Amino acid sequence: MGNITLDKVVKRFGDVEVIPPLDLEIADGEFVVFVGPSGCGKSTLLRIIAGLEDLTSGHIEISGRDVSHLAPGDRGLAMVFQSYALYPHMTVRENMLFPLEMTRVDSRAANEKVERAAEVLNLSAYMDRKPGQLSGGQRQRVAIGRAIVREPSAFLFDEPLSNLDAALRVNMRIEIAELHAKLGTTMIYVTHDQVEAMTMADRIVVLQAGRIEQVGTPLELYERPCNEFVAGFIGSPRMNFIRGAEAERLGAPVIGIRPEHINASRDAGMWNGKVSFSEHLGSDTYLHIDTDVGPVNVRTTGEFGVHRGDTVWLNPNEQSIHRFDTNGMAV
Amino acid sequence: MPATRASAAMDRTYRRMLVPASLAVGIFAITPLLGMLALSFTDFHLVRGWSGEIGIQNFVRLFEDRRFISSIYIMMALSVFGVLAQVVLGTAIAVGLDKIVGRWRFARGIFVVPFAVPHVAVALIWLSLFTPTLSPINAFFAVFGIEVPALLTTQTGAITAIVIADTWATYPFVMLIVLAALQGISPDLDEAAALDGATRVKAFFRITLPLLYPTLLMVALFRFIETLKHFPLIFVMTSGGPGRATQATNYYAYVQTFQNSNVAYGASIAVFLFLFAAAISFYIAKANARLSDA
Amino acid sequence: MIKTTHGALSAMLLLGSTALAPIAANAQDREVNVLLFSMPSTRGLAALADDFEAETGITANIDVVGQDVFESRITLSFTGGARDIDVVHTPVIQVQRWVEAGWLEPVTDTVEGLEDKDDILSGPLEAYQVNGDYYGLPFFAETGLMAYRKDLLDAAGVEAPETWDEMLEVAKAVDSDETAAIAMRVAPGQGFNMFVFPMLMRAYGGKFFADYPDDMTPALDSPENLEALNTYITLMNDYGPQGIGNFNFPEVVAALQNGQAAMTVDGTSIVSQAVDPAASQFADEFVLALPPGGPAGRSPAIAVHGLGIPAGSENAETAAEFIKWATSTETLTKLAINEAFPDFTRASVAENAEVQAKYAEVQEDFLDLRIEALNLAIGHYRPLIPTWPEIGAAIGENVNAAVNGQMSPEEALEAAQEEMEIILSY
Repeated sequence: MGNITLDKVVKRFGDVEVIPPLDLEIADGEFVVFVGPSGCGKSTLLRIIAGLEDLTSGHIEISGRDVSHLAPGDRGLAMVFQSYALYPHMTVRENMLFPLEMTRVDSRAANEKVERAAEVLNLSAYMDRKPGQLSGGQRQRVAIGRAIVREPSAFLFDEPLSNLDAALRVNMRIEIAELHAKLGTTMIYVTHDQVEAMTMADRIVVLQAGRIEQVGTPLELYERPCNEFVAGFIGSPRMNFIRGAEAERLGAPVIGIRPEHINASRDAGMWNGKVSFSEHLGSDTYLHIDTDVGPVNVRTTGEFGVHRGDTVWLNPNEQSIHRFDTNGMAV
Repeated sequence: MPATRASAAMDRTYRRMLVPASLAVGIFAITPLLGMLALSFTDFHLVRGWSGEIGIQNFVRLFEDRRFISSIYIMMALSVFGVLAQVVLGTAIAVGLDKIVGRWRFARGIFVVPFAVPHVAVALIWLSLFTPTLSPINAFFAVFGIEVPALLTTQTGAITAIVIADTWATYPFVMLIVLAALQGISPDLDEAAALDGATRVKAFFRITLPLLYPTLLMVALFRFIETLKHFPLIFVMTSGGPGRATQATNYYAYVQTFQNSNVAYGASIAVFLFLFAAAISFYIAKANARLSDA
Repeated sequence: MIKTTHGALSAMLLLGSTALAPIAANAQDREVNVLLFSMPSTRGLAALADDFEAETGITANIDVVGQDVFESRITLSFTGGARDIDVVHTPVIQVQRWVEAGWLEPVTDTVEGLEDKDDILSGPLEAYQVNGDYYGLPFFAETGLMAYRKDLLDAAGVEAPETWDEMLEVAKAVDSDETAAIAMRVAPGQGFNMFVFPMLMRAYGGKFFADYPDDMTPALDSPENLEALNTYITLMNDYGPQGIGNFNFPEVVAALQNGQAAMTVDGTSIVSQAVDPAASQFADEFVLALPPGGPAGRSPAIAVHGLGIPAGSENAETAAEFIKWATSTETLTKLAINEAFPDFTRASVAENAEVQAKYAEVQEDFLDLRIEALNLAIGHYRPLIPTWPEIGAAIGENVNAAVNGQMSPEEALEAAQEEMEIILSY
């Protein structure tokens, strides 16, 4: 249980079609990430599933039940908001009890559930505080706790980590991933951060302008992006794209090669150019190089000692070249 | 330390900015207040003047004066029921309007209109609505053979009538402030409550309303103090009648001061009103601090 | 004495920096500040301010305010010695109180200096005399009259009542679902219900005092007053329109004009609006008559308003000029022609052909009726004592409470008597 089916889901705001007909199957227990640039419709899609936005047409089924026109609270879902949306006048305990009170869970059972969730989330010490007295990470955990106690058939996360600092974000990412492993419940997670998508997802749904560009496991998307957009969006640093004669020579109107699939050398290679900028991270070195075929980014392992203006030779790994036609589709 | 010096200079600037306001308050508020206080310890009478005696006799008389004591009950009835009605109505309309966006937003403007009507005009409008021979309400129901009772000839009715007129004229004040407060509440909370399975009504009473409490308390306090000063509505709508049934304390102070020439006694009633309002403000401000420190 | 400097200064400011010519010392630079409270004839007077300036070159700044504002303003002005008012609206009902408080400047010289002093109706004028001095000149004298719907009385087969006892019978005969028999003011106030109720009191032989002005023992709780109050209550509650218990000036007028009441007994400013064809749907049906009487005769209500000069006025001469103008035959004639009622205070106004024609059109004997009522009215219809405003309010509130059933008539009179005694004991 907990599988979600979107069938020709359409959303219009007035005359603007923000989501053209869209189909998607999410299996029970899957961790699916919706990713895309801002304005791509990923949040809208999540809110449609939650019931916070009306469908213009199409159907949504959750656990085999048509919920297209059910109220949000009747869909058996729980959602964690970007702002956490904790009730500021209630204590942590009251926040977590609230959904149970609304669904008339017997109060002893409810208290037990809340205590258990608090333990899992390390919140037991804060149960009588109000959200205003908690740190960002603690609030995030309360929001998750409030979602857990409902025992929903699926969790929805709307950019839940974007208000946290970088270190905390990494921790929370792991916590959520662990939680998924522990609960085995379906999760839909919206983010604009492809690192979050890659690290957490069973499957990633890449969206652009309300349309699904590609659905696949992180590695599928990394290795076999179906078009230029997905290729550019997934992977960090971003894939290099080369057009014109050099691309034609390599067999397509556009070729793409990831920075980590290019070897840099001081003396020989396919392309040469001058270093315009270099980032030395110790473990890796990122080189930004102006070549005859255009600007190319390269990621080398370990320290690569060059300076601005030095000449560098580049050798792309032939097997790792992606080829695209004039429409941007992979060939 | 440069930072400290800069902030001291800023402090000086701010203090200077307060000078005109302090002068204005000092001259136009505190002085008359002190004058009133001084007067309340004399036996000054408009016609007979002042005998030179000073004492607390006016305040002793207050607590033996049945008209004064009954005026307090009348005042409290007007204030308590008035504030309740205004807060409930103003909040209800604000909650309704809050969700209205787009081209129906002009509705806000319409709901504010009564606020712009002068009090005497409000009183005249409602006086005619509550006068059976003039009222379209009575005329309408008369068509069906229903006789709408004359409110202004009984105490309960007259107090109800004044509360209604006051509510009509001042709910927009409540509405505007609540509307501003509602806009400060994240819409996420409503959505979270919806996902948590709360109906709109439950979400309102469990989430929105508690978050509005500090605002409602403040707005109720403002309105309460304002309603203690009831005058034009009583003067125009009932002349304090039937009998003396709507002579609230402030109106009674007017009667004593201007009609009966007992300026000093009137001043002692005003002093009482001032202390009463100050005590209530203080109490509510404390309650508010307790509520909003969460 | 005259604000010449002040006037010249403001004129210069108006001219700006050019300072063209020396300012003429007479025209435009004399001003008089007049404070009146709002009633039809004071609004009419304010409208004539330009005539005054045209005649005398004096600018009259006439401020007409509501009665509550008026009272607070004069109280502050008089007690504070502000001297910002040169001419003040002086109702007879307040004269004694203001004189005792030392608020008014005598105008005896002005009155005695009038060539046509004898033209002023003596009742209203004498009411301004306190301890041998005059403290005002009247511009308005309102008397009580009755107005009744002849068509309705005819249909009921009854004659206009001559006494309040007859009024009870007529009211019973005339009262119907569509039209109440009678509407009178009941709203509490010495100038509201206490303007009309003493007409009943005095007709039944009731009094405020044992023997005014010689024996000032309160005499409210008399059988005569009780009979009067019972009659008033019966008339209002059994034969008055719904809601009568709170009726004041506008409500009574509207009920008459809209055909919701067949009779009223009140001042000319109310009855004349019933017969005003411009405002009343039943102007043609209403007939005016003297107010009903009783065992002790007829006692029409009387209210006199005039103009006085506040004590210590620095502008008394100009103020006197304004008062003379405002109470002159010419001005009062204009008022009688412009406004809907003949409440003038000079006999000669009644000789003006235009005035005669105007009121004859309303009713042949309108002006005669008014004179007759004025002659019947007693000067101390409402006692002329400094404490009257307070006493009048107290009685009025108790009478209103009795009409609205908050206390019995006996209790009301007893309470009023007691309160009157307390007020007088100070």
